[in-house]
Amino acid sequence: LGPGRHQQDGLMELFYTAAQAAFSPATLFAIAAGSLLGVLFGAVPGLTFTVAMALVVPMSFSLDTAPAIGLLLGTYIGGMTGGSVSAILLGIPGTPSAAATVLDGYQLTRRGKASLALGTAVIASAFGGIVSLIVMVASVDTVAKLALRFGPAETFALLVFGLSTICGLAQKSLLKGFIAGILGVLVMTIGIDEMEGVLRLTFGTVVLQQGVSLLVAMIALFAVPHVIDAFVKHYAEERRPEAIADVRAELPTLSDLGKNFWLMLRCSLLGTGIGAIPGTGGPIAAFLAYAHARKSSKTPERFGRGEMAGVVAPEAANNAVTGGAMIPLLSLGIPGDPATAILLSGLLIHGLIPGPMLFINNPGEIYEIYLAIIISYVAVVAIQLFGIRFFVQLLRVPAHLLAVGIIIMCAYGAFTIRNSVFDVVSVAVLGAMAYGLTRVNIPLTPIILGLVLGPSIEREFRTALILSEGEPSIFVGSVPAAVFLGLALVVVSTQVVRTVRATLIARKMEDKARASVTPSE
Amino acid sequence: MARFAKNAERRQDVIAGSVLLLFAIVWTVTVWLTVPPGYGAGPRAFPFWLGVGLTVLSALLLLKGLIGPYGPVEAVAEEDAEPAVSPLLRLKLVVLVCAIIVAFGWLMPKIGFMPATALTVAVTLVGPLGERRPVLVIGMALGIALGAWLAFGKVLGAYMPTGSWLSIF
Repeated sequence: LGPGRHQQDGLMELFYTAAQAAFSPATLFAIAAGSLLGVLFGAVPGLTFTVAMALVVPMSFSLDTAPAIGLLLGTYIGGMTGGSVSAILLGIPGTPSAAATVLDGYQLTRRGKASLALGTAVIASAFGGIVSLIVMVASVDTVAKLALRFGPAETFALLVFGLSTICGLAQKSLLKGFIAGILGVLVMTIGIDEMEGVLRLTFGTVVLQQGVSLLVAMIALFAVPHVIDAFVKHYAEERRPEAIADVRAELPTLSDLGKNFWLMLRCSLLGTGIGAIPGTGGPIAAFLAYAHARKSSKTPERFGRGEMAGVVAPEAANNAVTGGAMIPLLSLGIPGDPATAILLSGLLIHGLIPGPMLFINNPGEIYEIYLAIIISYVAVVAIQLFGIRFFVQLLRVPAHLLAVGIIIMCAYGAFTIRNSVFDVVSVAVLGAMAYGLTRVNIPLTPIILGLVLGPSIEREFRTALILSEGEPSIFVGSVPAAVFLGLALVVVSTQVVRTVRATLIARKMEDKARASVTPSE
Repeated sequence: MARFAKNAERRQDVIAGSVLLLFAIVWTVTVWLTVPPGYGAGPRAFPFWLGVGLTVLSALLLLKGLIGPYGPVEAVAEEDAEPAVSPLLRLKLVVLVCAIIVAFGWLMPKIGFMPATALTVAVTLVGPLGERRPVLVIGMALGIALGAWLAFGKVLGAYMPTGSWLSIF
C-alpha cells in the first residue's frame, strides 16, 4: 500500500469519527436548539441573532466540543435565515441582511402569496448556504496552506488589513469607524502583558489582571443596548404592527425552482465571494444580488411589486455569506463581522484556534464544523417549514416583554463565565457605556473586532520586531506583508479621499444655502 | 425636523469628541506613568500609541463637530426617527436596566437561580414596565424561571447557583 492510500484511510477515519460526533444525539439536539434560537432572534425585528450568539456562547461552556460547535453554528445559520420571516410578513427586516428581501417579499404577502414567499425564501437560503459550504470546503484548505508560510510580520499585516477594511468599508463614518476599532484594541491591552508579564492599567486590582473578558464585552455590547432600546421604545409608546393572522410555509414547485436555479447559483457564488471579504457581509451581498436579479431579468419592471426572483436572489446571497465568511475565519483567524467574531470566541473557549494551524491540530473538528453546517441547514428548513405559525405568534409579543427575558439571559450568561457577580456588574457598566456610544453614532462592530483581533495584532507586531532586532523594515520586507499593508493603505486612503470630497461638497452646499437665505433677510 | 436632525448630529459629535478626547488623554498619560517601557516595542508601546491615535482621532471628531460642515438638510424618514423620550428619562432607563442586571446578579448566589429569576421578572414587569395583568406577570415570572432552569441547568448542564440565604433550587 502506498502512502497516498494510508493518507486516504486516515482521512476516512477522521471523517468517520467526526460524523459520529456530529450525528450524536447531544450534537443533533444542540444544533436544533441553536437553529431554533437563531431563527427566533433573527425573525423578531430588533432582536438580532448577534444578540443570540452573545448569549449562547457562555451556555456552550458546559458542553463537549461537538455539541458546542453545533450550538454556535446552528444559532449563526438559523439567525441568518430567520430574518426573512418578518421581512416577508411585516415588511420589517428581522436582520439587516434581510432588508433587500422586504422589497418584493412584503409585496408578495400583500398579494396573498406570503406562504409561497416564505417557503421559497427557506429553500433559496438553504441552497445558498450549501453552495457556499462547497466553495468553502474547496478553498479553505488552500488558503490555510498559503497562510502557513506567514511569519509574524505577514500575520500582523494581514490582521491590520482585516481590521482596516472593517473600520473603513463597513461604517458610515471613517473617523468613527477607526475610533471604534482603536477603542476595541485598546481595551484588550488592560491586564497582564502576555509577553513580559507586566501589569498594565490594573490599578492594583486583582480582577483586572485577567483583562477584560471577551464574553462579558460581547454580551455588554450587543445585548444590553438592545434591552435599553426596548425599554425606551416602550416608554415612547411605540407599537409593533400586527402580524398576519394565519400563515404557513408553502414549498415552491420544482418548475418554479428550476426557473430560478441559475439565478440562485449566481447569487450564491456572489454571496460567498462577498462574505469572504472581511467587513462586507450579508446586507451588501443581498442588495448586490437583488440588483443583479433585476438587471438580468426579462421583466425588471415587476421587481418591487412582488416578483419571486426578488426574494430568491437576496436570500440565496445573504445565506451564502455564511460559507464565505468562514473562509477567512477558519483559515486565517479573521472574523468578518460581529457574528463570526463571537463564533471565533466560542471556538477559542473549546480549544479550537482558528487560523492555518487549525487544519493541522484539529482536522477532526474541521469535519465536525462542515457537518454541523449541513445539519444546521436541514434543521433550519424543518423549523421554518413546520414552525412558521409559532413565529407569527412570537412577532406579536411586545419587544419590552422579550427584553425582560434577555435581561435574565445577559446576567446569567455573564455570571456563568466565572461564577462571578463582578462579571455581571461589568456587563451592566460596559453595556451602559456601549449604549452611550450608540447614542453618539460610534459603531459597535469595529469595537468587537478590535477586541477579538487586538491581542493577536500586538503579539505579532512585537514578535516581528524581536525577530528583526527592532528593525521596522521587516513589515515591508516580504511580498505578502507589503501587499497586505499596501492594501490596508489603499482602503484607508480611498476612504479618506471620499470623506474629504464629501466634506468639501457639504461645505459648498451649506455656503450656497446661506447665500440664498441672506438676500431675503 | 430635518434641520433639527443635523443639529443633533453636530451636538453628538461634539459630545463624543470631547468625552473620548478626555478619556484618550487620561489613558495616554496613565500608560506613560504606570507601564514600564521594556525592551524595544515593550509593554508600553502598544497601549501608548493607541492612546495617541485615539487622542488625534477624537480631536478631529471634536473639530468636525465644532466647525465642520454637515451638508444640506435631509428629511428624516418616520421609521428612522428617534423615540420621543426626554434625555433625562432615557438616562433613568439606562440606570434602571443596569440596576436590574446588577440586582439579579447579586440575588442569584443569595437566594438561588429560580427564585431570583421569578422575583426579578415580576418586579421588572410590575415596576418599571407598569404591567398590571396578574396572569401575565405570574406566568412570565414562573415561565422564564422554570424554562431557563430546565434549558440551562438540566439540558445544557450549566451550573445553577442554589443560594446561600435560601436554598430551594
